[in-house]
Amino acid sequence: MTERAFPSASGLAETRPKYVGKPVQRLEDPRLLTGAGRYAADIRLDRMVHAAFARSDQAHARIVSIDTDAARELPGVIGVFMAQDFPDLPAIIAPSRMRDYRATACAPLARDKVRYVGEPLAVVVATDRYIAEDALALIAVEWEPLDVAADPETALAGDAPLLHEELGTNLLFERVFETGEPDAAMRDAPLRVSGRFRMHRKSPLAMEPRCYVAEPDRARDALTLYGSTQVPGIIRDALTGLLGLPGSRIRVVAPDVGGGFGGKGSLYPEEIMVCVLARRLGRPVKWTSDRLEDLTSTSQGFDEIIDAELGFDTDGNLLALTGTVVGDVGAYSIYPWTAALEPVQVVSFLPGPYRIPHYRGAVRGVATPKPPTGPYRGVGRPAAVFVIERLIDMAAAKLGIDPADMRRANLVRAGEFPHRIGSGLVWDRSGFIECLDAACETVGYNELRTTQAEARAAGRWFGIGIASYAELTGIGSRISVAPGMPINTGTETASVRIDSTGAVTAVFAVASHGQSLETTLAQIVAEELGVRPQDVRIVHGDSAATSHGTGTYASRSAVLGGGAAILTARTLRDKVKRVASHLLEAGVEDIETGDGHVFVRGTDHGVSFAELAHAVYSDMKALPADKREILEAMETFDPVTGTTASATHIAAVEIDPGTLSVRIHRYVVAEDCGRLINPLVVDGQVHGGVAQGIGAALLEELRFDEAGQLLTASLADYTVPSAVEVPSMEVTHVETELPGNPGGFRGMGEGGAIGAPAAIANAISDALAPLGIEVSELPVTPERLFRLVQAVLGKGGRT
Amino acid sequence: MKPAAFEYVRAASLAEALAALDHDDAKVIAGGQSLVPMMNFRLAQPARLVDINAIPDLNRIEDAGTHVVIGALVRHAQAMCSDLLAARFPVVAEAMAHVAHLAIRNRGSIGGSLAHADPSAEWPLVVALLDGEIVVAGPDGERTAAAEDFFVAPLVTDLAEDEIVVAVRLPVPPAGCGMAFDEMSRRAGDFAIVSAGALVRVEDGVFAQVRLALGGVGDGPVRARAFEDALVGKPATPQAIAGCLDFAVEDLEPESDLHASAEYRLHLVGVLSGRVLERALARASGSAS
Ligand SMILES: Cc1cc2nc3c(=O)[nH]c(=O)nc-3n(C[C@H](O)[C@H](O)[C@H](O)COP(=O)(O)OP(=O)(O)OC[C@H]3O[C@@H](n4cnc5c(N)ncnc54)[C@H](O)[C@@H]3O)c2cc1C
Repeated sequence: MTERAFPSASGLAETRPKYVGKPVQRLEDPRLLTGAGRYAADIRLDRMVHAAFARSDQAHARIVSIDTDAARELPGVIGVFMAQDFPDLPAIIAPSRMRDYRATACAPLARDKVRYVGEPLAVVVATDRYIAEDALALIAVEWEPLDVAADPETALAGDAPLLHEELGTNLLFERVFETGEPDAAMRDAPLRVSGRFRMHRKSPLAMEPRCYVAEPDRARDALTLYGSTQVPGIIRDALTGLLGLPGSRIRVVAPDVGGGFGGKGSLYPEEIMVCVLARRLGRPVKWTSDRLEDLTSTSQGFDEIIDAELGFDTDGNLLALTGTVVGDVGAYSIYPWTAALEPVQVVSFLPGPYRIPHYRGAVRGVATPKPPTGPYRGVGRPAAVFVIERLIDMAAAKLGIDPADMRRANLVRAGEFPHRIGSGLVWDRSGFIECLDAACETVGYNELRTTQAEARAAGRWFGIGIASYAELTGIGSRISVAPGMPINTGTETASVRIDSTGAVTAVFAVASHGQSLETTLAQIVAEELGVRPQDVRIVHGDSAATSHGTGTYASRSAVLGGGAAILTARTLRDKVKRVASHLLEAGVEDIETGDGHVFVRGTDHGVSFAELAHAVYSDMKALPADKREILEAMETFDPVTGTTASATHIAAVEIDPGTLSVRIHRYVVAEDCGRLINPLVVDGQVHGGVAQGIGAALLEELRFDEAGQLLTASLADYTVPSAVEVPSMEVTHVETELPGNPGGFRGMGEGGAIGAPAAIANAISDALAPLGIEVSELPVTPERLFRLVQAVLGKGGRT
Repeated sequence: MKPAAFEYVRAASLAEALAALDHDDAKVIAGGQSLVPMMNFRLAQPARLVDINAIPDLNRIEDAGTHVVIGALVRHAQAMCSDLLAARFPVVAEAMAHVAHLAIRNRGSIGGSLAHADPSAEWPLVVALLDGEIVVAGPDGERTAAAEDFFVAPLVTDLAEDEIVVAVRLPVPPAGCGMAFDEMSRRAGDFAIVSAGALVRVEDGVFAQVRLALGGVGDGPVRARAFEDALVGKPATPQAIAGCLDFAVEDLEPESDLHASAEYRLHLVGVLSGRVLERALARASGSAS
């Protein structure tokens, strides 16, 4: 491209797309990398005071008394508050239209009893956080301990202590999906494999812990909440009900947010309390979670026991699948997703991207005295994919078929879409087999198997693991993200405007917290409107900027936000062209835009966006009144059902037979997210997701003792992968077309985390295949590997 | 996770530091890499912190001929990069590479590590392996303690509350010794589940001197004396090492914790001991291989 004042006709058509699909550098990076970002914790307001929460050290106990006298007397303490100080504050209740669902009542500060260690009991407000914490140490609580059933299967037993007496059971929901005749088909299947699989509880562990600052406005009787949240729209809507204020007087802003991974996607007691306290005290109140609080009070993920069986014939055709899931959902059903979100998703996705005619998936969610679970990157699918992909490998081993061939034979093929799986989900056209083939090619599958054979011959424990999966992303209005959730998450409205200086601002209800949406949405708007990405300011994460919207989660923002951006920018471009046609005295169809200019195609006759804006808004002589347009557009996009994204991951690992440490030697991902908006961003999302999947596979586990006490309560014990544990990855892209969708984008924010646990579990099982060891519990820590190996080789093992 | 209030004294000399420690609830702070996390968790709430970082001369590594003296404020990173230590005790740099991460190694000190006495820490193991002496200053002057007397229990030493570690003296072993260190940890930089250090000297094809120190399996660093005695005099071969490894685990009674069971730890002792001894043997001059 040659540099000119504005592009002439030559070449503009050929150079499109100019930004979409290109590795545009992240527009947020200069700010974030030079410390100029502004996170909630950076916000300091006049007369601001600090909150610290007294939390339960009991998993299940009745509160006999809370003595706050000494705490109140500490100099610098402004107040100590308990549930009784807010008699009108409603409990958090997550409703659902799902049958057999029981909502729980979660009081922002515990009333009468506590149900997990870390539950907020009282809150101290002081002039600084140090004093607030000093005061916490002076609060004395008298407890009447209640029986604890920390294990979910024990909690289901008839005589188990009840967490929510009013429900009469610890079973919060129950659901069965069935297609065909799974029992008969399983019985008649010539071959079967089965197992009991366990995925342990994880923490989303964003680098930035949760933080909220509430600023009251006494003049307007209004409130602004700055919060590290993924869902400002959902929080705003919920707060209107809890605080009894109209939406116009509550503004929820997510400033720069340092990661969420689902952990910032729900409504939290602390979030409500800072608002309530700010209004009570008439001054800004801030609370920042410390790491211990983050590990005990941010929503947790996964935690399922899954019994599953797969029936198949001697040619390797899959016939039937059954799965029974017990989800340990913790003490409360989280708002707005409910406790059903994660475990139901496990059975929804268990059949995976395969043709399996008969299916039954049954799921139960059990309340236990542990922190509530909520969305966590991948939601349900990491566990589902772990189970089905283990079963596929077990079946392949039983038949003596290569695991890649076993998948190739059973994946839904190009001509078979749309394909309805046994849980009722429908896979839309996506490159299932293409991803498998691309991953095999990238990794050099056949040579890798040769390398493995040589390594095995030399006594080394070297394994290759494949995981293929599909997911539903960018879910539209016909499906609710969480079962029966009465909140619309399936639409996104964008508004784009050109102001009187010609600058472009695009407003969305998404809330980027690391997804690079300020870059990718700007690329799209720039592409459609004919400006440069750096000229588009993206407004997001501010409930006051839009009338409705939820935020960023569930791999939705590029699909829905991107779709809305395209529709809106096109509408605005049409307005621009109409105005320009008058100014330039040419037909609308001859007007072209590019690089911030509007011109007559094939000429260098044109105006800049600034000149155009001046003509519209300021120079009242430039246009007749009836030709003035408001250079602003607003459109909504609804993908109705959603888009199917898919991928295959291949991991090659080597286990040290002496220490049982696992080294990931190769890691390949071939993914289909449709049309790429920005390959750098897609790769980054895959890398981060895989890193989290490595954590789930090898390292991360929130461990509780029988009394419900969290044992892994610091980052020395809750071990997340560091840079050393994350290998370099090879990512390839399969861009299957998506007809009928404006951008052709599929969601890919979660995929990395979905495939990695299964791929690594399969690779480790493959490495240990000569010993007959199968991995069925994640994370497979060195201690677990030691026990598996010890059981086979006996004492001493290998050195 | 904010510390309780404390008084802060920055000592300009050892005498000032010792005077400031004459108080019922004072604690020395060196690199702060163990103490500050404990204060933030409010597991430690000292009323007074005595900062020794400004005391001159405590951050030197000195060649004293028959031994090397490492000042208490020598940082892990400094030890890792020391030419003198690399020449006399290459095992130090090998072990320091496993201590935490760069930022922590830049602040954490040998004195702090010894005084903190984590049974999985690298410095205590290295000092035990190298038969080092810990030099301690107190109100009544200086004394020295051998590693085996200094480490009493996990996070407990024989230091009195008014004493300060000032240095460590490491005797230079005879020429030709081979040394090695290895450990198993969950992640790079984590405290070891089990660590092992070895030193061997070979004469006429047999083990003339053998030392094996283990971390993560006892109250402090453990010298595997029975193993050492068993291997001395044996042919300097990997087979001889393997033949004696049962002695290495003989008297150990490690604890189980979140990251590893006692059985896995004992298994690791065998694995890592074998590896460090073989490596040390390969590095010893005059060894058969
Ligand atoms: C994330 C993380 C990972 C770590 N991983 C490892 C690891 O793998 N291996 C390892 O060995 N260590 C590890 N550490 C600890 C680190 O090495 C510390 O630096 C070291 O244990 C203490 O040294 P310090 O100088 O920071 O001591 P401080 O934290 O200042 O003090 C520790 C204790 O020693 C006392 N003390 C300090 N100096 C003296 C002195 N001269 N005389 C008397 N008492 C003194 C203090 O009063 C305190 O009780 C890790 C630390 C962190 C934060």
